[in-house]
Amino acid sequence: MQITTLVLMVLLPTLLGFLIILLGREGLSKKATCLIGVITTGITLIGSLILFGKSFILSEVLPKWNFTWIELNQKPIQFGFELQPLNVLMLIIVSTVSFLVHLYSYGYMKGDERFSVFYSYLALFTFSMLGLVISPNLLQIYIFWELVGVCSFLLVGFWYFKTEAKRAAKKAFIVTRIGDIGFFIAISLVFKEIGSFELKDLQIAIEQGSISSGMITLIAILLFVGAIGKSGQFPLHTWLPDAMEGPTPVSALIHAATMVAAGVFLVANTFWLFEAAPIALDVVAYVGGFTAIFAATIGIAQTDIKRILAYSTVSQLGYMMLALGSVGYIAGVFHLMTHAFFKALLFLAAGAVMIIFHHEQDIRKMGGLWKKNRVLTGLFLVGCLAITGIPPFSGFFSKDEILLAVYQDGRIGLLIVAIIAAFFTAFYMFRLFFTVFTGNTKQKGELGKVPRAMTFPMIVLALLSIVAGLVEVPTNSLSSWLMKGLAKPITTHESSIFIPVIAVLVSLLGMGLAYLIYGSKRISAKRITGTIPWLHQLLVRKYYIDELYRYLVIIPLKGIGWLLQIFDRVIIGGLVRLGGGIMQILGRMGTALQNGQAQTYALISVFGFVILIVSLLAGRILK
Amino acid sequence: MNLTSYLALAAILFCIGLYGVITKRNAVMVLFSIELMLNAVNINLVAFAKYGMVPNISGQVFTLFTIAIAAAEAAVGIAILLALYRNKGTAEADKYNSMKG
Amino acid sequence: MNISGELIAFFILSVSAIGGAVFMMNLTRVMHMALALAFTFFSIAGVFILLDAPFLAVTQILIYTGAVSILMIFGIMLTKHKDEENPPSFDIKKLWSLIGVGAFFAVVLWIIYQSPFFTSEETVTDFSVKMLGKSIFQQYMIPFEVTSILLLVALIGAAVLAKREEKRK
Repeated sequence: MQITTLVLMVLLPTLLGFLIILLGREGLSKKATCLIGVITTGITLIGSLILFGKSFILSEVLPKWNFTWIELNQKPIQFGFELQPLNVLMLIIVSTVSFLVHLYSYGYMKGDERFSVFYSYLALFTFSMLGLVISPNLLQIYIFWELVGVCSFLLVGFWYFKTEAKRAAKKAFIVTRIGDIGFFIAISLVFKEIGSFELKDLQIAIEQGSISSGMITLIAILLFVGAIGKSGQFPLHTWLPDAMEGPTPVSALIHAATMVAAGVFLVANTFWLFEAAPIALDVVAYVGGFTAIFAATIGIAQTDIKRILAYSTVSQLGYMMLALGSVGYIAGVFHLMTHAFFKALLFLAAGAVMIIFHHEQDIRKMGGLWKKNRVLTGLFLVGCLAITGIPPFSGFFSKDEILLAVYQDGRIGLLIVAIIAAFFTAFYMFRLFFTVFTGNTKQKGELGKVPRAMTFPMIVLALLSIVAGLVEVPTNSLSSWLMKGLAKPITTHESSIFIPVIAVLVSLLGMGLAYLIYGSKRISAKRITGTIPWLHQLLVRKYYIDELYRYLVIIPLKGIGWLLQIFDRVIIGGLVRLGGGIMQILGRMGTALQNGQAQTYALISVFGFVILIVSLLAGRILK
Repeated sequence: MNLTSYLALAAILFCIGLYGVITKRNAVMVLFSIELMLNAVNINLVAFAKYGMVPNISGQVFTLFTIAIAAAEAAVGIAILLALYRNKGTAEADKYNSMKG
Repeated sequence: MNISGELIAFFILSVSAIGGAVFMMNLTRVMHMALALAFTFFSIAGVFILLDAPFLAVTQILIYTGAVSILMIFGIMLTKHKDEENPPSFDIKKLWSLIGVGAFFAVVLWIIYQSPFFTSEETVTDFSVKMLGKSIFQQYMIPFEVTSILLLVALIGAAVLAKREEKRK
């Protein structure tokens, strides 16, 4: 099959699915809607798998394909696709998770009235995300980037009748917009510098040194600002936990596995740009490292099951950024992949937990699930172990790669930060696990049932979470494959034995502490928070970042808005009213002239005649 | 004697007539004023016939026609006025405001 | 400017024409106004004589001073009038009319005095009644006939209009 056909096979079904569901939302039953969604994403998944097979197993170099969309000053602006290993890998991740989430949503969203709307949004999102990951130029990336942003907005605000959901949707949209402005400026700068949006052209220009290094750094940092917004890095992370107001499948698909990884993907996709700008790499590394530990500490004190996972996502994305910033291209991308699987698994499992507890999200009101649902417990445990980085689960390998990359890069401080963050990760994940699954059931009455449509996707993701590490270890096949997409090879990291050992030990320590506090209850959690209440409060309130933004940004902006509104009301509105008033007065005068008396008309004609003659004469005299 | 004097005389008469047309409340007076304006025009025609660039009898012929038409106009005007007077009960021009929108 | 007989005659005639017109504007009784207008028409007939148009002058007297004035007087008599116009009050409409007409007058006068009129004094044209008759019945035959039809139409139209409308069933 032709590559173009294959790519169309990947892209078109979801778009078609979106259109069909959108147009047929009156007539289609829920089952049919779900079927359309699953089939279209299934075709997409098959297409992606074929591409993956061609690229990964048969080691084919897949061609890129372009067509000129418009020309600006003889500078063609192109559309097309590119199938470097990174793009293909992203295709696989997106289509797999999307397929499974489509399936899962049938169980989760069954009772919702706007079921088909939900599916149409999902399909649109999948299409946009697929388009994003195969874009060969910055403009196309930007278009799809905004499209996924819109879908995220729509889906976070899906339950728009809830005030929190509405606010969260707006917040998600506006906060990411801040990052997008940076991205947009970066794109504009690139076009100004090289007159093209093509990544290839930019790469060549950098290799030839036709862009000054300061400009490269500026562009790289601005691109990273876009990534910060999308991937929920500090200081623009605040939208991501709030985005958990959306339905849980959405959280799994968009806010864990795919869209938030778009920022990481963007940095990875323009990695040569960052390599050419060491300062930008530093920024990436430090922001990533800081976010990793920052979000992990917040995660400790949260009580909402989805928010804990959200902060975990922020933290893990920080890890990926840290890896990329430490020239750990492979490590970052590898972790992106494994994280997509296990975090999607965790979110879907959390959704199942919420179904069982009748949409309760507070973990303090849960407990004892182990006795009720062994399968779910097992699945959740797999996710926890994977994110904690216990061998042989996939998280172990990717996290190990990251730590190794940081170590090799020589930033020992960041390495320590990453290890401490790993400790916190283990702690909050197992805090969550022990609180929810062990102990006694605190909720009375009948517990909910998990539909089979929800269990199956979780099992698949659990399997992937277990085995995904095997693509890299021990054969290094992922890294050698990804290397092919890079212009110049990156030095691979020599494995070192003590880093994984330390990482695992630290994770086990975190697990153990969590067990002591929340599992066997040997140590009272209350006493700990009692000794340092201010720290606990600080963590619960997420370091007061939201409050800080509120007082530093939102209230001043509202003040300015209020002033501008007054300006608008009084001055602009006044001018408009003045204009209207003058016209009205003129109209009244006109009406008064129309009094039906021929003599008045004659008088007006005389005036008109005089004016006419005078103006004619004036024209002649002035000439 | 020159043309300008006659034209000025005609202009003065014309303007008096125009003023009367606009301001007089009595409809008969309006008709009077119109006649006055027509006469002012006649003076112009005859003056041009004698003192124009090409002195020509045509000006006088035109004046004759104008007089004939003015006479017809006066007759019809008076007739309309009488009809209006019968219908509206008044001869005051500012009471005729049925053209008002 | 040389004082000639023509100038004196023109002066007297124009003063009486303008005076008649002004009187017409300012008199209070309608019948007096009609008489003032007749006087103005008469003066204009004099102006026509000055302009070498004796036939027109006679026509003017016959039609205007005679027929039209009498017609007007009939019109006055057939309609009821509050004989006195309202006492001259300061009226915003009158002021505007004065301004408008004044501006018009100023413009026209300015044009008249600005325009260079060439008067060919040399050619002496024959303005006799004979020439006038020739011109009307040769050159302007068709318009003459049309005018006669117009007069007929006006006659019938005026009669129809002025006739008391019969009540329709």
